[in-house]
Amino acid sequence: MILPDYYEFCCRVKIVAGHDALEKIPALLADMGSKKPLIITDKGVAAAGLVDIVVNALKDGIAIGGIADNVPPDSDLRVVNQLAGLYRDNGCDAIIAVGGGSVMDTAKGVNIVVSENATDLMAFSGAGALKRRLKPLVAVPTTAGTGSEVTLVAVIKDHEKHLKMAFTSYFLLPNVSILDSRMTMTMPPFITAMTGMDALSHAVEGYYCLQKNPLSDAHSLAAVNMIFKYLPAVTKNPSDKDGRLAMAIAACLAGISFSNSMVGLVHNLGHATGAVCGAPHGICMATILPYGLEYNMHKREEIIAELLLPMAGEAVYLKTPKQERAQKVASLIREMNQELNALTGGRHPRCLQEIKDRDGKPLVPREILPEIAKAALSDGASIYNPEDTDYEDNLMVLEAAWEGKPLDRSKVKKG
Amino acid sequence: MNLTNGFAFTCPFKTNSGNKALEHLPVELASLNAFKPLIITGRDLAGRNSIRTLTHAFGDSGMTLGLFDDIRNTADLNVVEQIRDFFFKGQYDSIIALGGGVIVDVAKTVNLAAALKTTDARQLSEKTAIPDPLGPFVFVPTASVTGMETSKYAVLNKKTFVSMSLMPDLVVLDPRLTKVKDGKTIAEAGLAALGRTLEACAAPDANPFMDAYALAALRFIRENLVGAINHCGNKKAALAIANAAAMSGCVISNTDRNVLYRLGQIFQNVVHVHPGVVIGMCLNTVLSDYMKQDSRLVSVLLRPLTTEDEYASTPEDKRADRALDTLNKFMNELYGALKGKMPRTIQEAGIPRYLMDDIFDVINQEPDGAYLRTVIDRAGSSSVKS
Repeated sequence: MILPDYYEFCCRVKIVAGHDALEKIPALLADMGSKKPLIITDKGVAAAGLVDIVVNALKDGIAIGGIADNVPPDSDLRVVNQLAGLYRDNGCDAIIAVGGGSVMDTAKGVNIVVSENATDLMAFSGAGALKRRLKPLVAVPTTAGTGSEVTLVAVIKDHEKHLKMAFTSYFLLPNVSILDSRMTMTMPPFITAMTGMDALSHAVEGYYCLQKNPLSDAHSLAAVNMIFKYLPAVTKNPSDKDGRLAMAIAACLAGISFSNSMVGLVHNLGHATGAVCGAPHGICMATILPYGLEYNMHKREEIIAELLLPMAGEAVYLKTPKQERAQKVASLIREMNQELNALTGGRHPRCLQEIKDRDGKPLVPREILPEIAKAALSDGASIYNPEDTDYEDNLMVLEAAWEGKPLDRSKVKKG
Repeated sequence: MNLTNGFAFTCPFKTNSGNKALEHLPVELASLNAFKPLIITGRDLAGRNSIRTLTHAFGDSGMTLGLFDDIRNTADLNVVEQIRDFFFKGQYDSIIALGGGVIVDVAKTVNLAAALKTTDARQLSEKTAIPDPLGPFVFVPTASVTGMETSKYAVLNKKTFVSMSLMPDLVVLDPRLTKVKDGKTIAEAGLAALGRTLEACAAPDANPFMDAYALAALRFIRENLVGAINHCGNKKAALAIANAAAMSGCVISNTDRNVLYRLGQIFQNVVHVHPGVVIGMCLNTVLSDYMKQDSRLVSVLLRPLTTEDEYASTPEDKRADRALDTLNKFMNELYGALKGKMPRTIQEAGIPRYLMDDIFDVINQEPDGAYLRTVIDRAGSSSVKS
């Protein structure tokens, strides 16, 4: 295990996992001195019946101070302020966030406003502007993918002023994350596959990017193992309770890893693809991941090879000669995409050219790749990538990911 | 590992490890809203050089530091009350515990006493309700640690205080402070972490989050402990063991009823033997008992104890035996490197009969006292010196 010359690692979130983890929330809130939580969620989560499950699990143990399900897909300062008003009017003393990234961001924003009595959220933006603990925040993720239940950042948009505010502080970490199999049980196979691959990209990039450290490594290895074991199973059989719980745990492990080790080229290109084409994040991650690995392989071959055993198990590991293990890791991720493609009746794309919108129209036409490659230059994720990248590199990786063909590694400029 | 029953896991501390880690302290403290820390240490236990290195790291940060450097092995709640008074009078807002063992037990208890503003520290009892959170608390280890510094436990005057809020907010591992002068010190720290962590992994309540800390700790121990004993100047190996010890405190705080942990504590409390010594003696016996209970519990230990190739090429039904064999080989190598500086059995430790009787008195009060006694018997107490 590599001990870097210097590293930092932190995840102070209490993890509570199980098939009945939601029922533990009242006692957990009581431990933190809270009696009246505000539930923050979005309409999609509510419509899927997930808020009802949460409310049923809580109702005998605690008084709920309100349920707000109006979080938009893109976080919004106005909603943050409105929910902070609701929190105060109803005399709430804690927040339960039920949902994905936008719900978590919004809940964190509300928490800053109500804890700091802030009138101007902007005053707390940036890194380290928060100096003390906020009100108790319980995160209940409803996808097994983003890891946002264990991250210390929040992004809130001020749509009126066209501002994007980013907040980074350990005080933004939720106090508790609840990983309950019931929250992902109704997720359709296509979403299951894409969010699971998002988690895999966190675990894998977290394992080879520059800020990797012994603890992020250990979280990544566990996550990779669980994702390869359970993702096809839950995509095939959505009501596999144990598999759902395992995937929720795996995504959380991966979230802890990447939020400490940071991510690299795959996220860099994935963010840009999402921004330019509107392609869903998880799909971008799934389709670009094997090629990002191949791009970095000359610098990280031994490290990437270490993923083979947890990924594929003993038989494949022993059968694969040492010098081919890293390449095998990349191939296995392609094979995973292939398997998920079959399990979702072709909906899970194997490469960028297969990403389509609701009407079946390709979302990432080949001619847009140069624009993506350019947009990626202004994304911060590349800082932590093992190999330096430039426009041509970005384009080369995107082309390979578009076609779904292994990267010609002889063309990689070795820095 | 069975996940269906559910589990909870917490590691409240951040880890900063490596070159010039101490120099990050002013910024880290500020992020905890702390600007006037009190350093709690013992100049004889932690060493004057360590104190100097730590205080120099604050350079021109502008922070005012307080120093209480008179912790000794005999420290008790009277000392805690004395420091609490010092803490209030100096209007400090945070604690930095520098050293290991008793220093950190005292510092944790001061943090507790400072949070309970009206209570005299001497009145603290195991029934005292421990608030959450306590004040900002930073732990800066030297080489001489037990691995319990980062845990949820604080033990003073034979009282054990237990709460996740006693764990540090931050652990700063700096190679200038974790370097070792003698192999025995690092062996004690390493063995304590090794035993507690292995047992935690084998326990039926293991979970993947705890396992991540355990895996990192065990691999550091496997790859560095013997080297650190053989080459005391190897700062990197010593830092790896210090990392492992810190991680083991998180592991032990997330598992229940760990036999090796409890035996280590009992011997430490009664006869002041480092828990690592006792854990080293009892490790094989306890794991063999897990093996009898269910060999699958032990087979999971092979992965952290060996290389990927050896693990992969060992058939599943042979992994438990191989894990114990590998561990035994490792222990032999380790004791060999120590060249007789550490006893391998209770008999070799030469604990007199009357003190063993005191130990058995404490053991008999444990719910599984009869079992613990058999562990001690098998670890070689039947022929203790009279």
